[in-house]
Amino acid sequence: MFRLTDQPIRAKLLEQSGAGGFVSFEGKVRNHAGGRDVVRLEYEAYPELAQKEGEALCQEAVGQFGLLVVEVAHRTGLLEVGETAVLIQVAAPHRREAFAACEWIIDQLKHRVPIWKREHYATGDSGWIGSDTTFAAADDGRWDRQVALPEVGREGQDKLRAARVLLIGVGGLGSGSLPYLAGAGIGTIGLVDADDVDLTNLHRQTIYKSEDVGRKKVDRAADFVRKLNPQAVVEAFPEHLTAQIVDRLVGSFDWIVDGTDSLEVKFLLNDACLKLGKPLVTASVHRFEGHLMTVVPGGPCLRCLFPVPPPPHCVGTCAETGILGVVPGIFGALEANEVMKGILGYGKVLSHEMLVLDLRTGETSRFARVRNNDCPICSGGIQTVAVLETDSLGQARDILGEFTLVDVREVDELPEIELAHLRVPMSKFDPGKLPTPAVLVCESGTRSYQLAARMQALGVDSVLSLKGGIGSLSDDRIEARDG
Amino acid sequence: MRVLIRYFAVLRDRRGLGEESLEVEPMTVRTLANQLTVNHQLDLPPSLIRIAVNGEFVDDQRLLADGDTVVLIPPVAGG
Repeated sequence: MFRLTDQPIRAKLLEQSGAGGFVSFEGKVRNHAGGRDVVRLEYEAYPELAQKEGEALCQEAVGQFGLLVVEVAHRTGLLEVGETAVLIQVAAPHRREAFAACEWIIDQLKHRVPIWKREHYATGDSGWIGSDTTFAAADDGRWDRQVALPEVGREGQDKLRAARVLLIGVGGLGSGSLPYLAGAGIGTIGLVDADDVDLTNLHRQTIYKSEDVGRKKVDRAADFVRKLNPQAVVEAFPEHLTAQIVDRLVGSFDWIVDGTDSLEVKFLLNDACLKLGKPLVTASVHRFEGHLMTVVPGGPCLRCLFPVPPPPHCVGTCAETGILGVVPGIFGALEANEVMKGILGYGKVLSHEMLVLDLRTGETSRFARVRNNDCPICSGGIQTVAVLETDSLGQARDILGEFTLVDVREVDELPEIELAHLRVPMSKFDPGKLPTPAVLVCESGTRSYQLAARMQALGVDSVLSLKGGIGSLSDDRIEARDG
Repeated sequence: MRVLIRYFAVLRDRRGLGEESLEVEPMTVRTLANQLTVNHQLDLPPSLIRIAVNGEFVDDQRLLADGDTVVLIPPVAGG
């Protein structure tokens, strides 16, 4: 499938009766580069790693494009102008996959496989050229400044190279952590994000460029990593993290870094990491402040603090509340620092604290965290959390029995609700006068949730908020008619 | 007794300030948090407001002491 050779490479005749498309690509030594006359090239490989990585990418190509045959050969040693440096031959049932696979393989090969090229110029001098634009070699001195730290050293650098770090969400936090993870020489970086780069991302997601708008984040982030450290292996997953795939992903990495803005995903990661015994670094930001902590196996977890994820609308997102780019950047960098501490073993990860940092004032606070004996996940306890929301009036009836439906929208908000109800605008809301039990309804379910929360703080548990607002009432009418 | 209250994230937004010093009666931290929730329309349910006192997350039933710094921390989502 993949071979390195110091002998001239010749194309083979491929035979495969199930294949309709055969594509063959040859990369040859040309007589010029960057405006200079080139007389020969020299290729040097890190053979063990190159062989392993070359075979891995051939396997990936088979899986991704349904190839029936794939043969890749790469030269090492001195080559004259006109000689073949790399040969890729593929066969697939149809031509489209064959062309696409061939191009994918050469791109991946240049990015991932540790083979370096030295150009010998007509002027007698020469220079090492990295894959793509970056200078690279196995020990090219790029890590000298951190290897010089006693806490790192050659041994530490090997630990970083052997490490597999998974980053969930390549947005504002990810843009803060990824450059330092990749720059430090983490050997394998997994990237999970289903989104495309959006113009409104760029002010804070600074690993992307304006020309990346509309393109897959994981692809552009993978490109960023490879240009910074061509030796890094990137595993890109352009998908949402769901309960179906979380165990498989988390299970195959050593460190998990939360870069999401979704509390639901943060809780999903928390649970999966505890189950699989993986450390999780998690951070969240809000306007000019944020918090950071590391959840380690056996230590206090996210649910020890907050037993259940709140509805997304009640704590605000970047899109709603606004965010300054530097804020997630700083917290992302702090997350990378947690990973460095964990892998290299210096200092102490924030496994029993939460770090809170206010970037307006520079004020930092650390709060000690302990395991909560009632935590539903890590202590096997049963946390009783009073429900605040209901999906439908039918469900509310099961919980509350008979109740009063209360519309808390302001008086000028339409349309009028057709069911029997009271109108108590939020601006005139008086907790003492609310008839209970009650179901509160507003436009989207946000204000009604806030008022139900206020009632719960007063010790009143028989007030629920209708999730989704007045839109959810129409479901009830249909149900009533059908029933 | 006098205590210092500090608010974070969405609670700071809703309270309109980051901290305040208050004269309070003896009570648990949860009772204080619930009173503040109602008085200032902080509008997060009690289960979503974590309370730290003097640098440590504490049990809801902890009694206030003179000079305590009480910090109210909500879940934060942004990233």
